[in-house]
Amino acid sequence: MDPILAEIYSTILPAAPYVIAAYALMWLVLLAYVLVIVTGQKRTEKQLAALEEALNAKHKQ
Amino acid sequence: MTEKPNIFDRLAPALLVLGALLTTAAFILNFTSAPLVQGALLPDNGLAVIGGQVVTNKLLLSQKIFYFHMPVAVTSFVALLFTAVFGVLFLVKRNSHYDLMAKVATEVALVFILMTMVSGEMWERFEWGVWWTWEPRLTTYFILMLLVIGYFILRNAIDDAERRATYAAAFGIIAFIDAPISLMITRLVPSGAHPVIFRTDSGLSTPMLIPLLLAMFGFFCLAFALYRFRLRQQTLKARLDALKTNLED
Repeated sequence: MDPILAEIYSTILPAAPYVIAAYALMWLVLLAYVLVIVTGQKRTEKQLAALEEALNAKHKQ
Repeated sequence: MTEKPNIFDRLAPALLVLGALLTTAAFILNFTSAPLVQGALLPDNGLAVIGGQVVTNKLLLSQKIFYFHMPVAVTSFVALLFTAVFGVLFLVKRNSHYDLMAKVATEVALVFILMTMVSGEMWERFEWGVWWTWEPRLTTYFILMLLVIGYFILRNAIDDAERRATYAAAFGIIAFIDAPISLMITRLVPSGAHPVIFRTDSGLSTPMLIPLLLAMFGFFCLAFALYRFRLRQQTLKARLDALKTNLED
């Protein structure tokens, strides 16, 4: 490779892992929050179903 | 038990998809049409012609982090603005729903603050060779992150709902004060790492501005959609808890 071109592109490859890590970590943080929302929603729905079941059982008595 | 979703809840799924599309487009344009910025001068006045342009500097890939880093930072400031607004509304109207809205807005702010920090860390580690330095923007933003974490510690430390909401509202407003300081600090104390972008001559060409703005609007959409999903879940949980308490009484 031309030495001047090698110098121009000298920081590209060493920077690549950091650029990839930056984007991956950002998406990971966002994904973690989505998981928090989804699990919270599921837990709430489960509690709601349990409450409905308990109320129905009480009405039948 | 379940209430009819309002207009914002109905918009949330569409905004989530739109946000995903905009950020994906920004990501693709970032690595295709946006040119690499030029770094240090080549030794011995070296130059080369690349794509019809004379290049006299090293080309920097690390700057590609900026196209998502800055939009997520701005989104965190916007989310914190909502924390402060809902905090004021709670203090004025004493409606617990505003407290819940402020809490969820702060959660979203924390998510985007963490995204800003991790992306900034990667850039800093490569460009400066250190994991941390007390540069003005970094310091004020770090304080902001600590304040937001402190907001949740404060909430968890108080059992009484009314007192918790009042203290959290006041703390949220105080925490927000750091946002404009962090935003404006680079105008007061100029920094090479954080140039002033919103000015008439920001130095960003159109191929660079397009992915930046797409990412910005994309993250606004994603943040709003996540906020509405979380708020709906938390509202339902609050009503469920209240109902359980009433039944137990």
